[in-house]
Amino acid sequence: MIDNAISLMIAIPLIAAVVAFLNGKAAKYVALIGSLVPLAISLQMFQEFDKTSNAMQFVESYDWVPAIGVKYTVGVDGIGLPLILLSTIVSILVVVYSWGEEKRSNQFFALLLLNEVGVLGVFTALDFFLFYIFWEIVLIPMFFLIGIWGGPRKDYAAIKFFIYTHVASLIMLLSIFALYFSYRTPEGLRTFDMLTLLEATGDSAIFSPMLLNVIFIGLLFGFLVKMPAVPFHTWLPDAHVEAPTAGSVLLAALLLKMGGYGLFRIVMPMLPNVSTHYITLMAIIGVVSIVYGGFLALSQKDLKKMVAYSSVSHMGYVLLGAGALSVLSVQGAMFQQFSHGLITCVLFMSAGTIQHTAGTRIISELGGLADRMPKFAVLMMAGFMASLGLPGMCGFVAELSVLAGSYENLPIYVLITIFGGIAVTAGYHLWAMQKVMFGPILKKYLDLKDPHSYEILSMSILVLLIIYFGVQPATITDIMGVAAEPLVEPFIAVAATGVI
Amino acid sequence: MTLGFGDYLSLLGAEALLTGLALLMIMIGLFTKNKNLMGYLSLAGLVASLFLVMGADMTKGSIFYGTMEVDALSQFFKLVFVAVALIVVMAALSRYKDSPAQDEFYVLLLFATVGMMVVASSIDIVTLFIGFELASLSTYAMAAFDREKQNLEAAMKYFIFGSVSSAMMLFGFSLLYGLSGTTKLAEIAAASVESMGPATLVALLFVVAGFGFKMALVPFHMWAPDTYEGSPTIVTAFLAAGSKKMGFVAAFKVLFIALVALSFEWYMAFAILVAITMTLGNVVAIWQKSVKRMLAYSSVAYAGYIAIAFVVVGAANSGGLDLAVAQNGLASGLMLILGHAFMKTGAFIAAAVVGYMALSEGRKNPDDLEQYAGLGRRAPITAFCMLIFLFSLSGIPPTAGFIGKFMLWGSAIDSGLVWLAVLFALNSALSLYYYLRVIMYMYVREPAGAKIAEPKGYVLAMVAALVVVLWIGVFPQAFVDFAYSAAAVLLH
Repeated sequence: MIDNAISLMIAIPLIAAVVAFLNGKAAKYVALIGSLVPLAISLQMFQEFDKTSNAMQFVESYDWVPAIGVKYTVGVDGIGLPLILLSTIVSILVVVYSWGEEKRSNQFFALLLLNEVGVLGVFTALDFFLFYIFWEIVLIPMFFLIGIWGGPRKDYAAIKFFIYTHVASLIMLLSIFALYFSYRTPEGLRTFDMLTLLEATGDSAIFSPMLLNVIFIGLLFGFLVKMPAVPFHTWLPDAHVEAPTAGSVLLAALLLKMGGYGLFRIVMPMLPNVSTHYITLMAIIGVVSIVYGGFLALSQKDLKKMVAYSSVSHMGYVLLGAGALSVLSVQGAMFQQFSHGLITCVLFMSAGTIQHTAGTRIISELGGLADRMPKFAVLMMAGFMASLGLPGMCGFVAELSVLAGSYENLPIYVLITIFGGIAVTAGYHLWAMQKVMFGPILKKYLDLKDPHSYEILSMSILVLLIIYFGVQPATITDIMGVAAEPLVEPFIAVAATGVI
Repeated sequence: MTLGFGDYLSLLGAEALLTGLALLMIMIGLFTKNKNLMGYLSLAGLVASLFLVMGADMTKGSIFYGTMEVDALSQFFKLVFVAVALIVVMAALSRYKDSPAQDEFYVLLLFATVGMMVVASSIDIVTLFIGFELASLSTYAMAAFDREKQNLEAAMKYFIFGSVSSAMMLFGFSLLYGLSGTTKLAEIAAASVESMGPATLVALLFVVAGFGFKMALVPFHMWAPDTYEGSPTIVTAFLAAGSKKMGFVAAFKVLFIALVALSFEWYMAFAILVAITMTLGNVVAIWQKSVKRMLAYSSVAYAGYIAIAFVVVGAANSGGLDLAVAQNGLASGLMLILGHAFMKTGAFIAAAVVGYMALSEGRKNPDDLEQYAGLGRRAPITAFCMLIFLFSLSGIPPTAGFIGKFMLWGSAIDSGLVWLAVLFALNSALSLYYYLRVIMYMYVREPAGAKIAEPKGYVLAMVAALVVVLWIGVFPQAFVDFAYSAAAVLLH
């Protein structure tokens, strides 16, 4: 493996973003190459990753601002690697899907690349300072994607998105400071090193339970807003409805995963040391998100808004899986992040394609599109089936693992509630699919054709991946399982006593 | 240790060079018609003094019979002042090109810079006051430089408020002198331990009021938005970035050195003042239609942010001085001062380009937000620089503004002022609203006119500020070290 693989993976899209921005005509080719290289690097990393080890791998560490204990430290383990793969795959497919973007294309492709820089940074940073920087950088491309290429209420949506998530980040930052100032290394120095600080939270001589609980709430809040979990989800529909298709795809497939990643990387290692009420709280919020998000999706008239709320519902499984605290549920939650990332791409791409071919996304105004768009209909159908949890596709595996894992630790009425939610999920997917695609074709849609080949191509690749990971989930769930074990280990005794 | 002439020159070479240059330029100005040369002369002089400031020996102790000192703190601020003056001169190269009175502009600017540098070095209240007045008098004239109606109003307001604040400050100083019998800050600090009576408190109030005007802290901020809006925009840049920071260095010196005796009992009152300042600045900024005025109120908010450093030191001292916490707080405040100096200068210069563009098209409100519509395509370099300055002002990484705010948040938490840190964070998020609105106008709205040729001097100035803002953001180590050693000087 080449040295500094991670830094290279982050630096190349950044350089490509600058080149694409300055060189308007070749922007999309630059973007293609600039996202192909990180994909190659991440695949190579996946090859060479020691899948049985729990340690951080490919670690790079350099002093950055020693005066305040900041280091540039990056590395990956089983929590980060699947999401890195997801990011590089989705990023390049979004570039392909947007191949026909004409409006200010240099800025457009530069922003897509900048977004990739941000998310890759978040998933690899092992220093809180670095983590926060990438966490915030991600906001910038999304703000512009919504603001420039967005729908009619783009001003409002872009600013709301930015401020809402920025406030959450700041609350998270204040918690990070509380960690930072409570701890000194054995040499008497301050450090922002993530793993060191998280390990120190176990030492009750440094962190009183009261202090730790306050810190924990701040961090949890930051991640819940990002995921987003009910009741902090209200920024999401606005951002999604106004965002262009590429923006929505990145938002749902990658940005929401940052919240889930924070949960596994930062919140879960702290769980053993904070009040057990928080575990209950997480599980409750997870269940509410699943069910309430499903009902919200059911009531939507706009196809894209429906998909947006279905994201809230599906991300609820991540929270539930994390809160259920069995190896299987945590592993399932991690896999749900990965699988939802792939599936939601197809859904948002479908909504985007319908918008620009048929000119509307209002479900009741559409009908019978499958007649004229057969290839597209197959792909969209596959995406919807994956989203409602059809066996043989990755969404099924993920959600089944979460539920089976939760069954060990959670009371039975929780699962009954969720099964109600699953019925709703199947309902709105099938209803929307039936109305939009099937039935007699409406007259005004008679001259529609299948969309551009690049749109079909990117969606087909995603569908193939969805099926592959549905049939062969172990390719990636193994490393998730290895990563899940130490997170759950402290609770095995607790669970036996029935605290949860 | 007695110092020879050569030692003085090596310590205060920058001040000497700039004063000499200013005097020389007055002479040349009398005899020459083509005055464009003056801009380049001041540019060269400022670049040279930048190196002189950096090269000065910081270990010599006090000079001029214990009235001035060259140390990390003074050099930190001098670097800020000289660099800001340098950036403003670059912009002035375009702004006052072929203007018949331009030599006076540069001379005033250089004198003002020297005045600020004297304040940065002084450890004696009389010297401090003289430097303060030299800078103030020069900037009063600069505020009225274009001799337009709104300039005169701005300058008048600035002059009257400024004079009152000087008078208050002087009254406070005279009380301090009367109480302690000395004008040296260190001796005042030693003396007032015994004579701590109500008079010290009165003196403190007057001094704080005097500095409060310059720092634009609520309730002494009233002049700032009007003056900032009415002055020529590049002068506004100098006022916001230079003159205001002079208020801070003076406050740092006097409050910390002379008033140690009061054992910082005032810090809670100051915390409330700070909370009001930042909230008021941000809330009022939201309603502004004029970008210049919006930036002026954001400056008020920033005065509040920076002043958190005072509160942190106060809190660190409340139960026996915790040196590490206090140093952390001061260094954070210095980092934000450094960042704010560059990003605010840059933002005002970008506003100057837009004003210039709007005026040349004969529009009515040259500073109105409407003029920023489509700036991304009309003036791409200006818009991009403005974008980074605004992100920096709102504390988005990796910029100078982020580093400053980041450290200040940290030090507020460190000193146990969690409520202030939370309020600061919420304020910072609130400020995003009005910064993002400008960005939306620049990059989302359709342009209201054709692409323009951006004046070279302005572009040079903005790019210089941009480089510094990003440099501090990405490689903060050297600056942070410098800020810590400057903070150590105060806490000695």
